[in-house]
Amino acid sequence: MYSPFVLSLWVATWASLTALAVGTLIAWLLVKVAFRGKWIVEGLVMAPLVLPPTLLGYYLLSFLGQRGIGPWIEEVFGFRIVFSPSGAVIAAAVAALPLIVQTVQVSLAAIPPEIEEAGRLDGCAPWVMFRRIYLPLIWRGLLAGGVLGFLRALGDFGATLMVAGNIPGRTQTMTMAIYDAVQANDISRASQLAIVLTSIGFGLLFFVIRLRQNSEPG
Amino acid sequence: MISNLLKSLAVLGPSLGILMLLSACLAPASQASSPAVLTVAAAADLQFAFQEIGDLFEQETDQEVTFVFGSSGQLAQQIEDGAPFDLFASANISFVTSLAQKKLVLPESVQLYARGRIVLAVNRLSGIEATTLPDLLSPQIKHIAITNPAHAPYGAAAKEALIAAGVWEAIQPRIVYGENVRQTLQYIQNGDAEAGIISLSVADVPEITWTLIDQALHAPLDQALAVVTSSSQQDLALEFASFVNGPLGRPIMQKHGFIFPDEIVTAPVP
Repeated sequence: MYSPFVLSLWVATWASLTALAVGTLIAWLLVKVAFRGKWIVEGLVMAPLVLPPTLLGYYLLSFLGQRGIGPWIEEVFGFRIVFSPSGAVIAAAVAALPLIVQTVQVSLAAIPPEIEEAGRLDGCAPWVMFRRIYLPLIWRGLLAGGVLGFLRALGDFGATLMVAGNIPGRTQTMTMAIYDAVQANDISRASQLAIVLTSIGFGLLFFVIRLRQNSEPG
Repeated sequence: MISNLLKSLAVLGPSLGILMLLSACLAPASQASSPAVLTVAAAADLQFAFQEIGDLFEQETDQEVTFVFGSSGQLAQQIEDGAPFDLFASANISFVTSLAQKKLVLPESVQLYARGRIVLAVNRLSGIEATTLPDLLSPQIKHIAITNPAHAPYGAAAKEALIAAGVWEAIQPRIVYGENVRQTLQYIQNGDAEAGIISLSVADVPEITWTLIDQALHAPLDQALAVVTSSSQQDLALEFASFVNGPLGRPIMQKHGFIFPDEIVTAPVP
C-alpha cells in the first residue's frame, strides 16, 4: 500500500527520467540530423501535447492491454502493465515527452556552431564532445525539461486513469485521490491534496522560470 | 530519402521501446504491493455498506481489503482490460453473467447478494419539495442528477422509472449525468443539482431528503458478485463474498437499505 503522495512522486520521477532519456535522443535527432519527413516525427512527438489525454489513454490501453501486446508481455516478462504502477509511469512519460523534447530542442539549437566546430577540429572523441562541450551548454535545458516533464507527469489524470485505473494504494495518484475525495464529498481531504499539489506545482514552476532567466545571456 | 527516414526510425523505434521497457521494469512497486491486500471492485452504491463490512472483515480476519468503487459497467470493462481485482461486486447481475460467459470471472462463484432500491433525492437547502417523479417537472429545479445509464445499473433504473412515469422527455434537457452513483449523490449534496435519483444505500446523508421510488417502475436491481478468474487470491475473495452474504455482513447491508434475494441462487450461466 502506498499513499497517493508517495505514488505520485514515484510515478512522476520515473516517468520524467525515462522521458528525459528518450526525449533528449529525439531532440538530438530533430536538431542535429537532417532527414526528410522530419515534420512527421516532430508531429508524432508533439501529439500528446494536443491530443485529448483520454484519447492517449485509450490508445495506450489498447496497445498495452489485453487487446494489444499485454498477453505477450505477460508471457515474456511475467507481469501486467495495465492497472499497475508501471502502466501509470508509461502513461505519464508519454504525456511528459513533448514538453521535454521541446525544451531540450531549444537548448540544443542554441549551441553556437563555432564551438562544435572547434571541438571537432581539435579531434575530440564523441564522449569528450558531450561532456566538455554539450553538457555545460545544455544542462539547464535538460534540468528545465526534466522538471517540466515531472510536473506534467505529476498532474496527469486522463491518460493515467485509463491505463492504470484508480486503485487505492497501487495506482491511485494524487490527482485521482482528489477526484475521489470530491466524489465522496470529502472536501477537507480534497483541499489538503490540492494544497500539496499546488505547492509542488508552483514551487517547481518558479524554479524553472528562474533557471531560464539565468541562462539568458547578459 | 528512404534511408534518412529509416535512420530516424532507427532512433525513434528503440527510444520508444526503451521508454516502455525502462518505465515498466523500473517499477518495483508494481510487484511489491500486489499480494496480501484483497482488492474488491465494487459498484459505487456499495460505498457506505462495503466500507463498514470491510472494516469488520479486517477486524475478524486480520486481512486488509482495498475497495475500488466505480460504476459497474466501468469496472466490468476494466476487468476485461485486465485490472488486478480479486472480487467484483456489481450493481446488477448482467455485467457479472456476461463476464462469466467470457470466463473472466469464475462462473461457479456467481451469486446474488442484495437487491437495491432507488430513491428520489432533493437537496435540503434548495427549498424544493419533490416527493414524486412528476414533481421533477417543476421549473424551479434547474438540474436533475442521475447516474449515466449507459454503464451504471442505478442510472439505467432511474431512466426506466422516469420513462415509466412519463416525465423523461420533458425533463431530459435538465438531466446531468454522474459517472457513478456516488458522484450523482455528490451533485445533489452540493446543490449543483437540486434533485436527482440515487440508490437508497447512499441516501442516508444529512444534506438531502429522499422518497422511495416504486419498484414497479423499473427492472429489479438484483446485485451479483463473482470471483475474478485472474485473481491469485480466489479463496480469500470467496471468503469475503461469504462474509458479505453471511451473518456478519447481512445486517450491515440491511442497515444500508438492501434487501436480500429470498434464497441465494447460483446464476444460470450458459
